[in-house]
Order: sequence, then structure tokens, then C-alpha cells
Amino acid sequence: MGTDPNTLDGLMARLADGDRAVFASVFELLWGPIHRLCVSLLKNEADASDAAQEAMHKILERASDYDKTRPAMPWAMALAAWECRTLARKRTRRRETEEPTHERGSEHSEEEFVQRDLTAAAVSALGELSEADRETLIATFWDEAASVSGATLRKRRERALDRFRKTFRRLYGLD
Amino acid sequence: MDSTDLAHLQRRVRWAYERGRLRRALLGVAPVFVIVAVTACVAHQPMSTLWFGLATVSVGAAMLWYGRDPQKAVLPGIAAGLVPLVLALCANSMHSCGADGCSSLCVHACAVGGVVAGLAVASVGNQRRAGIWFWLSASSLTLLTGAMGCSCIGYSGVAGLGIGFAAGVVPGLLRTVFAKKTS
Repeated sequence: MGTDPNTLDGLMARLADGDRAVFASVFELLWGPIHRLCVSLLKNEADASDAAQEAMHKILERASDYDKTRPAMPWAMALAAWECRTLARKRTRRRETEEPTHERGSEHSEEEFVQRDLTAAAVSALGELSEADRETLIATFWDEAASVSGATLRKRRERALDRFRKTFRRLYGLD
Repeated sequence: MDSTDLAHLQRRVRWAYERGRLRRALLGVAPVFVIVAVTACVAHQPMSTLWFGLATVSVGAAMLWYGRDPQKAVLPGIAAGLVPLVLALCANSMHSCGADGCSSLCVHACAVGGVVAGLAVASVGNQRRAGIWFWLSASSLTLLTGAMGCSCIGYSGVAGLGIGFAAGVVPGLLRTVFAKKTS
């Protein structure tokens, strides 16, 4: 396959094969980026720590399912971003007590499933972008005002979106 | 997070990793349950079939959970073991009669099935240039799977399977050992 056995991809492949000797190395290589991603997504150290721990739990629980033909970091980042989003939604739902959510029944379950798949694909493509692009798009996604405003933010967002579209097209072959 | 918390998290995550592997292993051996159930329904001695089946499932699950070479040996091992198993089940309904009376063809079927299974395991092992753990794992699973059917007339069928398997696998194994020594 030609993957260097000492990179994260190589180590993940070995861990997926059952080589437990690389477990600590994989953990160390993943923890930093996952924690940073959670901090940048949740903007709260305690929540980020909870989400990062849960994400590490999920990532390594699924380590045996890791597809060796794909890069490991975007895969792990996608799982972590999903975990952050789940935690953020839980927190928001807890706060929104006066605005009850409407149970729309099973007719919408397929729609939700498609939405979840699309989100996972988008998050995976997001993991392939630079940290700056990722932060710009995440800030857009969360409707947060970035530190810069006006034309600079618009331009930055435009460029990040363009790169995101290209990455998505490259990964999935569609817009 | 300080280093103690991280070490604690690492331990927790390690358990999650092992649980994930175990879940996957149990899913992986699920088809063997079907083989065991069908064999137990058809076999003359369902109890011994069930015991060998239980051993096959346990050993197969342990190998899938452990990973590495034993994990890679599960599919070829069980596939090769199906040959003596099917032959023995077919032989259950046949017998040959001579001047001294009638005798079951089970032992012969198991010996022939064992040879074919041994050749199959040797062929896969040589093709993959596999290590000793692959050979041991594949052999044990082949014997256990075959034994589910070969216990049809007691342990002589299992002995026939063992002898046949050894005859089939040993030349291939020796070829691998000598190839490794010369290279």
C-alpha cells in the first residue's frame, strides 16, 4: 500500500489490524488536534474537554473499522466534529425550555438520515482544509461574528467556501 | 488536562478499543452459529457437534478479537474446514456393505476431506508467505470446523480428519520453512 508505518495513517492501519503496541502513539497523535478542534468549535474549555474525551472514545472504539485507504486525520476529525455538534445541541436543547421542540414523527426520519449523512460528509471535507479556512467556515456555520468584519470577512469566507467546494467535489464528486 | 487525567482517559479509551474489537469479533463469527445450527440438525451426534461448534465459535471470536495473523487465518481456516464437514455429513447417509457386514464411510470421508483442507490451508499459507501463527490458527479452526461433522461415529472420524489434514498440510508447511531458511 506504500503507507509509512510510522505516520498516523500507518499507525491507525496497524491498530486496526490489532497491533496494540501502537495504541499509545495513536492516542498521543490524535489527542492534540482533536482537543484543539473541539476548543475551536465549542469555544469553552470544559465543554471542549468533554467532547474531545467522548470523541477519543468513539474514534478508538471504531479503530478496527478504519478504512486503510483513506487518511486517518480527516476521519477522526469528522467524528470529533460530530461529537462537538452533538454536545452543543444537547446544551442548547437544555437551555431552550420555553421553546418546545416539535416531534415530527417518523415521516421525517429519512430526511434526518440524509441530513446526517450530508453533514458527516461536509465535516469530513472540512477536516481536509487549512485551520484558518476551517475556523472561518465553522464561525459561519455557528453564526458567530468573527474577530474581523465587513469586506475582509466576506472575502475570507468566499475563499474558504471555494476551497471547501473544491475539496467536497474531489472527495465525493458532487457539489 | 494534566498527565494523570490523560493517563486515566487513555486507559478508558483502551477499554473502548477492546470492546469495539470484541463486538466486531462477535459479529464476525455470527455466520459460524448458522453453520453449527445446521450441522447439529443434520448430524447423527448433535451433542458432540455442538461442543465442537462451541469451540469453533469461541476460538474464532478470540482470533478475530486478537487480530494480526490469527485474524487473517479465520476465513481460510473455516472455509477449509467446511470441506471435511460437508463430506462427513454426506457420508453420514451412506455406507458400504461387504461380506463382514456394513460400515460407515464417515472415517474415509473425513480423511479425504482432511487432505483437501490441509492442501487448501497450505496453499493460502504459501501464497501469503504467512508466519507460524497463521498456520497454527488456520489449522486449529479447520480441524474444529471439520470435527463438527467428523464426530459422526465417535472420535475415530476426528482422528481420520487429523491424519488426513496433517498429510495435506505438512508438505506445504515444510516448503515454507525451507524457503525461509534458504532466503
